[in-house]
Amino acid sequence: MKKLLFFSLILMAILLVVGCSSQDNSGDNASESSGKKDTLIFAPNTDAVILDPQHMNDNTSEQVIRMIYNGLLRFNEDSEIVGDLAEDYQVSDDGLEWTFNLKEGVKFHDGSDFNAEVVKKSFDRVINKENGLNRYQLYEMIKEVEVVDEFTVKFINFEPFGAFPAIMAHTSGGILSPKAIDEYGKNLGELAESTVGTGPYKIVEWKKDQEIVLERFDDYFGEKGVTKTIIYRPIPEDASRVMALETGEVDVIQQIPANELKRLEDVDGIEIIKKSSNGQRQFRFDLTTEPYDDPLVRQAVSYAIDRQAILDHVVPGLGELSTSALAKVTWGYTDLGVIPYDPEKSKELLKQAGYPDGFKTMITTTDRYIQGVQLAEVIAEQLKEVGIEAEIIVKEWSTIVQEWGGLTADEFEQGIFIMGAGPSTLDADWGLRPIYYTAETNEQNYGFYSNKEFDSLIEQAMKETDLDKRKELYKRAQEIVYLEDPVAFWLYDQYSIIAQRDKVKGVNVSPLSLITFEKAFVEE
Amino acid sequence: MLRFIINRIFQVIPVLLGITILVFSMLHLIPGDPARTMVGIEASAEQIEQAREELGLNRPLHEQFFSFVGNAIKGDLGESIRTSLPVTEEILNRLPITINIAIGATIFATFFGMLFGIIAAINHNKFGDGLTMVISLLSVSTPSYFLGLLLMLVFSLHLGWLPTIGISTPIHYILPIVTLGAQAMGLIARMTRSGMLDVLRQDYIRTARAKGLPERVVIYIHAFKNALIPVVTVVGLRFGGLLAGTVLVESVFAVPGIGRFMVEAVLIRDYPVVQGTVLVVAVSFVLINLLVDIIYGLLDPRVRYT
Repeated sequence: MKKLLFFSLILMAILLVVGCSSQDNSGDNASESSGKKDTLIFAPNTDAVILDPQHMNDNTSEQVIRMIYNGLLRFNEDSEIVGDLAEDYQVSDDGLEWTFNLKEGVKFHDGSDFNAEVVKKSFDRVINKENGLNRYQLYEMIKEVEVVDEFTVKFINFEPFGAFPAIMAHTSGGILSPKAIDEYGKNLGELAESTVGTGPYKIVEWKKDQEIVLERFDDYFGEKGVTKTIIYRPIPEDASRVMALETGEVDVIQQIPANELKRLEDVDGIEIIKKSSNGQRQFRFDLTTEPYDDPLVRQAVSYAIDRQAILDHVVPGLGELSTSALAKVTWGYTDLGVIPYDPEKSKELLKQAGYPDGFKTMITTTDRYIQGVQLAEVIAEQLKEVGIEAEIIVKEWSTIVQEWGGLTADEFEQGIFIMGAGPSTLDADWGLRPIYYTAETNEQNYGFYSNKEFDSLIEQAMKETDLDKRKELYKRAQEIVYLEDPVAFWLYDQYSIIAQRDKVKGVNVSPLSLITFEKAFVEE
Repeated sequence: MLRFIINRIFQVIPVLLGITILVFSMLHLIPGDPARTMVGIEASAEQIEQAREELGLNRPLHEQFFSFVGNAIKGDLGESIRTSLPVTEEILNRLPITINIAIGATIFATFFGMLFGIIAAINHNKFGDGLTMVISLLSVSTPSYFLGLLLMLVFSLHLGWLPTIGISTPIHYILPIVTLGAQAMGLIARMTRSGMLDVLRQDYIRTARAKGLPERVVIYIHAFKNALIPVVTVVGLRFGGLLAGTVLVESVFAVPGIGRFMVEAVLIRDYPVVQGTVLVVAVSFVLINLLVDIIYGLLDPRVRYT
C-alpha cells in the first residue's frame, strides 16, 4: 500500500501549492503616481473599543480617534499646544472665561458645518453628568459653554483652571458631528457609521476584532493625508504580531515584546523607532502601613535601588532613567537628577528611622505592565542588600485595578506597588494632582499620599494662569514628591516604541504613545 | 429509537442548567470589578457607582441570575460591557468564522487521521506504520499554541507560502485549521489504526482474502467500515473540543472568532460576553454530543438498549 502513502503526500503537496499560489496581497495594492503605496497596514495589539472621544478609555481607540476627530487645540510635534479647530484663544483676567476663535469653512465627514453651536453641543454632551461618559471628570470645571457668535465660543468655568488649554488639546476634546449626536446619543462611536468627525481621515469600515478601514477625507481643512487608506488590523498575540511585520503582511506594529526588541533591531528591512513619552514606571508606597508612614524609610528604599542595572538588564532599550516625578516631555517638568544607587546611605537612613536591621514588606505587581514581575524580583533582590525582606505578590490586572479604587486606608494593603503613570494632557496638573493630592479613598491617590505643602502648591498652580508662575509651583511640588517626602521611587521614563518596515515613512509617534498616520506612507 | 432520542434530550437539560449556574457564580466569585474596568482607572467613585447601577451589578445575585436565564432563552444575552453592543449579535457575527475553522479542522483531522491510521494498520510494524505513528504522536503532543507559531515561522516567514494572520481569503484558513486539527488528527489516526488492526485479525477478513478478493476491496469495503465506529465517537467529541480549542488558535492567528472574543472578555471581566460565549460553546458541545450519541445509536443497535 505504498500507493496510499504516496497519494497522501501528493495531497499535502497540492494543499501547500494552492496556499503558495494565491497568497493574499492586500498590502500591495496598486500605487499612486508618486511611488507611494495607497494602503498602509498597522497592527495594534487590540481592537478599538469605542470611537467616541468623550467615552474612550484605551490606547487603540484613542489612536483611531486622533485620525478621525479634531479638537479646538492640539499638541504639535514638540508637544506645544497650538490651534486646531480654533485659530487662537484668550483667557479673561480672572481666569474664569476662555474664548476661542474658530476656523471657518470646516466640514464634518457627514457634510455638516462646523461652528460655535457645534462646539457647544459637543461639550454640553460631556459635561452633562447624566450622560455617564467616561471622560466627564476631565471637563468637570466647565460651568457652561456660550456661543458668542457663529465662530466664537466661550467656556465659563467654575474656578480658574491653568491647564485648560491642555485639556482642550486632549483627545477627549474631539468635536463631534451634531448630526451624529442627535442620531446616536450615547451609542455614538460604537460602529463605523456613528463615528463622524472633521479629521484628515474618515472611517469607512469597522469589522470588530478584524479591521478598521480609514480613508483620506478629501475635504479636510488642514494638510491632507498622504496615504489613501489606513488599515488597523489588531493582532493580540505578541509573537504573531512580530511575525506579521517580518513577513510584510503589516507595515507598522506597536507593543513590541521586550525580549524581541533587540532581535528586531538587527532584522533586515525592519526599523525600530523610539520617542520619549509621558509614561513613567514607578513603584509607589502604600502609606497606610508601617513603616512607610516615615519619609526616611521611603528615602532609604529609594537609595537601595540600582536603577541603571534595572534599565540595562530588565528593560533594556525601553526607556531612560527618570529624573523627576514627571517625564521630560510633560509640561512643567523639572530636572531633579537620577536618584543615585547608595546602599550605605540607605542603611544609614534605615538606622535613623529605627530599623537598623531592616524589615519585612511586600511588593505588589502585575504582569500587565511590561516586565512587571521581573522588575519586582530584581527590586526584592536589591532590597535584600540593605536588610529589607520583600515578598512578591503578583495580581491579575482586574484585581489590582479594583484595589486601586474606592478602598479606604484600612482596607488597602499593597506595600510597595507597581504603577505606570503619564498625564494624558501632557501637563503637570494632571500628572500630579489626581494621583498625589490628599484624598479620603484611593480612587486615584492609590497609596494614600498626603502632604499639606504639596496640596497647597497644587491648588495654587491649578488656579494660576501665568505659565511661569505655574511652572515654579510645580517645580517645588516635584521636589516634595520626588525627593523630600517621596511618594514612590521612579525607575525610568518610557519610550513610545514602534517597529516598522523600512519603506514606511512619516509615522507620527507622539509623547502620549499615540501612533498616527496623517503624513505616513509606504514607499513602493 | 424515538424513546432513546427523547431520553437523551431530557438528560441534556440539567447539564445545561448546571453549566449556566457554574458560569454565572464562577465569575461573581472571582475578585475584579467590571464597572471599575469599564470606566478606567482615571474615573471617580461616582462614575464607578453609576456604571455599576447601569450594569445591574447592584441587584441581588439571584435576581441577576434569573434575568440572565430568562433573557437567554429569548435569545437576549445582554450588552457587552466593553463595547455596549448586544452580545447575541456580537456572537452571531463571530460564530460562523469559528465554526468554519472547527469544521475545517474536523475534516482535516478526520481525513488525514483515517488515512494515516489505515496506512499504519496495513503496514503494521513496517516503516509506514512507524512514520505515520510518529507524526500522529507529535501532533497529539504538541501544544497548539506552539504548533501555530512553528507553522507560521516555517510556512509564512521562511517559505513565504501562507499568510500569517487574519481570515481575509480562504488561504488564510489553512494554518489555523491545521493547527487546530493536528491533535484530533493524531488521535483519530491512532484510533483508526487500532480499530483496523482489530478488524483485520477477524475471521471474516481472512475469509474475504481466502475468497480471492482484491486487497483494496478487503480493506475499504470489509474492514474499514467496521473499524469506523469508534472513530465516529472521537470525531464527534473532538468537534466540541475544537470549538474550545479555537480560544488559543484564534489568538495566535488573530482570527476574529468567538474564542478570541471570549479570551478578551475574560481578561476585562466583561460578564455578559463571558457568560454568552461560554453558554454558546457549552450548548454546542452538549448538542454535538447528543448528535453523536444518536448517530452512534443508529450505527450500532447495541447502544440503544443499554
